[in-house]
Amino acid sequence: MDEDVLTTLKILIIGESGVGKSSLLLRFTDDTFDPELAATIGVDFKVKTISVDGNKAKLAIWDTAGQERFRTLTPSYYRGAQGVILVYDVTRRDTFVKLDNWLNELETYCTRNDIVNMLVGNKIDKENREVDRNEGLKFARKHSMLFIEASAKTCDGVQCAFEELVEKIIQTPGLWESENQNKGVKLSHRDEAHGGGACGGYCSVL
Amino acid sequence: MAADGEPESEVFEITDFTTASEWERFISKVEEVLNDWKLIGNSLGKPLEKGIFTSGTWEEKSDEISFADFKFSITHHYLVQESIDKEGKDELLEDTIPQSMQDLLCMNNDFPPRAHCLVRWYGLREFVVIAPAANNDAVLSESKCNLLLSSVSIVLGNTGCQVPLFVQIHHKWRRMYVGECQGPGVRTDFEMVHLRKVPNQYTHLSGLLDIFKSKIGCPLTPLPPVSIAIRFTYVLQDWQQYFWPQQPPDLDALVGGEVGGLEFGKLPFGACEDPISELHLATTWPHLTEGIIVDNDVYSDLDPIQAPHWSVRVRKADNPQCLLGDFVAEFFKICRRKESTDEILGRSTFEEEGREIADITHALSKLTEPAPVPIHKLSVSNMVHTAKKKIRKHRGVEESPLNNDVLNTILLFLFPDATSEKLLDGTSVTDNNNPPPDSEEYNLYNQFKSAPSDSLTYKLALCLCMINFYHGGLKGVAHLWQEFVLEMRFRWENNFLIPGLASGPPDLRCCLLHQKLQMLNCCIERKKTRDDGVKTSPSDKITNTYSGDAGKAGSQLGPDNLKDTDKEKGEVGKSWDSWSDSEEEFFECLSDTEELKGNGQESSKKGGPKEIANLKPEGRLRQHGKLTLLHNGEPLYIPVTQEPAPMTEDLLEEQSEVLAKLGTSAEGAHLRARMQSACLLSDMESFKAANPGCFLEDFVRWYSPRDYIEEEVIDEKGNIVLKGELSARMKIPSNMWVEAWETAKPIPARRQRRLFDDTREAEKVLHYLAVQKPADLARHLLPCVIHAAVLKVKEEENLENISSVKKIIKQIISHSSKVLHFPNPEDKKLEEIIHQITSVEAIIARARSLKAKFGTERCEQEEEKEDLERFVSCLLEQPEVLVIGAGRGHAGRIIHKLFVSAQRLTESSDEAAAMSLPEEELKKMGSSEERRQHSLSDFPPPAGRELILRTTVPRPAPYSRALPQRMYSVLTKEDFRLAGAFSSDTSFF
Ligand SMILES: Nc1nc2c(ncn2[C@@H]2O[C@H](COP(=O)(O)OP(=O)(O)OP(=O)(O)O)[C@@H](O)[C@H]2O)c(=O)[nH]1
Ligand SMILES: [Mg+2]
Repeated sequence: MDEDVLTTLKILIIGESGVGKSSLLLRFTDDTFDPELAATIGVDFKVKTISVDGNKAKLAIWDTAGQERFRTLTPSYYRGAQGVILVYDVTRRDTFVKLDNWLNELETYCTRNDIVNMLVGNKIDKENREVDRNEGLKFARKHSMLFIEASAKTCDGVQCAFEELVEKIIQTPGLWESENQNKGVKLSHRDEAHGGGACGGYCSVL
Repeated sequence: MAADGEPESEVFEITDFTTASEWERFISKVEEVLNDWKLIGNSLGKPLEKGIFTSGTWEEKSDEISFADFKFSITHHYLVQESIDKEGKDELLEDTIPQSMQDLLCMNNDFPPRAHCLVRWYGLREFVVIAPAANNDAVLSESKCNLLLSSVSIVLGNTGCQVPLFVQIHHKWRRMYVGECQGPGVRTDFEMVHLRKVPNQYTHLSGLLDIFKSKIGCPLTPLPPVSIAIRFTYVLQDWQQYFWPQQPPDLDALVGGEVGGLEFGKLPFGACEDPISELHLATTWPHLTEGIIVDNDVYSDLDPIQAPHWSVRVRKADNPQCLLGDFVAEFFKICRRKESTDEILGRSTFEEEGREIADITHALSKLTEPAPVPIHKLSVSNMVHTAKKKIRKHRGVEESPLNNDVLNTILLFLFPDATSEKLLDGTSVTDNNNPPPDSEEYNLYNQFKSAPSDSLTYKLALCLCMINFYHGGLKGVAHLWQEFVLEMRFRWENNFLIPGLASGPPDLRCCLLHQKLQMLNCCIERKKTRDDGVKTSPSDKITNTYSGDAGKAGSQLGPDNLKDTDKEKGEVGKSWDSWSDSEEEFFECLSDTEELKGNGQESSKKGGPKEIANLKPEGRLRQHGKLTLLHNGEPLYIPVTQEPAPMTEDLLEEQSEVLAKLGTSAEGAHLRARMQSACLLSDMESFKAANPGCFLEDFVRWYSPRDYIEEEVIDEKGNIVLKGELSARMKIPSNMWVEAWETAKPIPARRQRRLFDDTREAEKVLHYLAVQKPADLARHLLPCVIHAAVLKVKEEENLENISSVKKIIKQIISHSSKVLHFPNPEDKKLEEIIHQITSVEAIIARARSLKAKFGTERCEQEEEKEDLERFVSCLLEQPEVLVIGAGRGHAGRIIHKLFVSAQRLTESSDEAAAMSLPEEELKKMGSSEERRQHSLSDFPPPAGRELILRTTVPRPAPYSRALPQRMYSVLTKEDFRLAGAFSSDTSFF
């Protein structure tokens, strides 16, 4: 069934409670906005197959609860993730200020160092913006993340965010192949052919 | 003419190749390949720079062709050069001689340290070789050789290729090549003589000059001068005065006591044999002219001491035995063993185990009673040994692979708390040579997914490694592991925390085994808290071995109101009064009486208790700073809550699999949320118990403040008041939160069902440990062993400061961290890492060997010392190193001395009195005359004599063009070779 799927990617959505993680995910997977979405308990999980540059990728997306009390559970979901979407709410500065903590946690629990991070400033449809686009941009640059502003409600930037992330992951060598073909370190030069061995190669006089 | 060389003609002209012979087909195939490689015509490159043969890059291209059914490989070897622009090429004169002919005379790259033999012999930058494809195939008969050579001639003529084309004849090991190079009106023949025994007249310059001249057969008189380059190579094998110092450590001495168990944490290092086997000194006269010097069968001017150029290379022992590498490699071998611990130690072990454990616990209870004999407070491992001795009685002595002393030392090293008072300090025992926490080195475990270098897991890995190498191999490993598992059970049953593990939930950055041990410690900790509650009176201080850094990341993120629960936990469980019968079922907590006392005091400060909802508040942790209950303004209390269950990565993996399996449907999502809501429900119940009569709004304000939205509104009277309500998503009817809130009964944490069943989890861990085979164990611990090995290599490198090694270590670390993060790393990749570590060890060992030989430490003058150190490090990194100042430089004098003393020893081996120091000998040598005489005997006969003779003369007739002629000769002990390149004019002869 999934024969033409290039790879399955594990993606994680994190960020403070109420910033709209579940809403973004719902918008991406079902293209709807449900104001009646309950606060997430523990983690939730959705799957979607997308095609980027002609490559099909199956995304297994884990939506975590931002609520403090559930956080003891979430670090385990960081394991093996190839991409992380870190969300804040542009209308609540406190959710932006907490980003540092989230990055800290990421660093602590991520099992790989080449993971692709994306910062998403959500709820740009709302009037009472507290975090300027430039601030988000600056933060993302400082921590070498992808950055986009989005609205789960109006659909702005959502599709684009996920596609960018997947594209970046696919471009990062060794991140998505289960078998990365790193060649290892070449330590010695070609060994000298000594004695009466055949001289197909390189040798010195003795 | 070659079929494919022809442009397609308009006229239908049928050429019939059906009758072409194998030979013709072979020729056309070779031509095709040369065409494909674009080797046709003259492509003049830049003049060769000095040393470019060594510093430049060589590449080769290969193809396969056959002659009938005999397979040949055809290979183009070439020095990579920037191509000269095409226009320049067009301007070239028709009669320019081919590049290769010009190169025959170039003196910039004589005697390259490392090159293809044809490069060394002929100074070529580019050539093509046709050789039998199979290694043991050979073109032997003269007629076949001739056939091949004439094929070459035809091909070159047909294609206009100016690159020399060689064929390899005779057995491959003889390295016999014949070849040809053609240019417009010119040709060079490459010929070769290879003999096992040297005719006497060829051992010196004058004889070789004679043969060169006779080969040229130059019609001119006088002959143009012949230029001569000579290199003699001397080999030093006996490093008489240096005995290789490294001995494998004597382990029995370590166990003997005085050094103590600490040594178990150290890995051995170094090569067991001298990793430098030979030193080759090449003395070179790069540019001599005929007649300036004399070298014949009775006399020679060629004194190595006087040679203008000296260069040195060292020959490294192939794969010297290295301790650290062996250690790790041997440990890795365990990974492939299939036997279980049982099978290795014998069936009976497990049957005994149960009874023996009973014995231990019994023995301990005796120990906790007032004992008449003064014993150290606690000696866990001795207890274990007693058990072990008993096991042995049943099984017969010889079956116990580890002797008692060794086992004792190891167990004391692993469990330092078992000896004495230290138990209560918990994890304070650290090796003094451990890197400080927070340093890059210390955090390496993060990258390797191993364990911190001061942890029990890491130490266990080192001990098993040591046992495997020195004490009984696999059996010893199985035995120690069995003892270890016994000790774990003992600690669980007797509430002794396991030392050497960071407290708190399992650290997912570490290896699984480490997580399992941490998990067990969590269980012990909870059980201990509970049991201590039984034994101690409320006034007793609880000894808690937590160092306080529990759940680092968690506490960073936790909000103030939740953060404190960790600290409070230590106080939890002071009394036993309210302990219910079904103790396994419930989380335990503060006693009602005590808590009420506390509450009473607090409330009285506030002006007397107010009764609400007829419920007594229970399980309060502390008052929330600001919040009050909405319906009556009572202070809001934060309840004592249950800690969420600690998890190891395999449990988490299982859990997430289960959660993922629920699918993405709405029901699935609902079920998933429900499955994860145990903790939420428990917290709600605790909250309700602590705050009688509260609402969901109260709970949300504490638990998820962002879901309580407060707004300033103006009421009917015109006052600004704060009006609050639940967020939209919390107000959705029958959402999970509302549902949970409605189900939650006011029950304090201590009377709730336990979220974490420590008994069950502990048994699960203990079972897991017990069924690990030595191979599993080795796989679990290999990251720790690699981690330790890398630290060791780093430490040793620091002493030597070899920059190339620094780089390689960095590569090893990044490579390993990639490999070890995969759940089941491939054996091949692991082997590669181990091999890399071994190589680095060998490099460091070589550096040490060379430093000792050249006495860099003994060098007093700072400047000279630096030069010498630089020289030594170059020897390690470059194939050949120039000796500055040749025989008269500082390094040169040392090398001279080395040879002199080696010579003395050979010469005087019969004489009883050996000569003393060579230095005095050197001082005595006054005049250069005397010195020359001496130095001739200072060196052994050269192991290799190389000569290059060159000239430009017209051939074959006096009126022919003057063309490059060259002859190379090399003479070694068992080999003599002449390689001549003689050019002639093919138009004017
Ligand atoms: N106006 C607007 N509201 C949004 C947007 N995204 C989410 N919301 C609302 O914000 C609230 C929180 O959204 P959720 O998606 O549940 O937030 P969350 O990040 O998943 O929260 P937790 O599950 O508690 O971690 C909901 O009421 C959403 O309707 C948006 O783009 N625009
Ligand atoms: Mg959510």
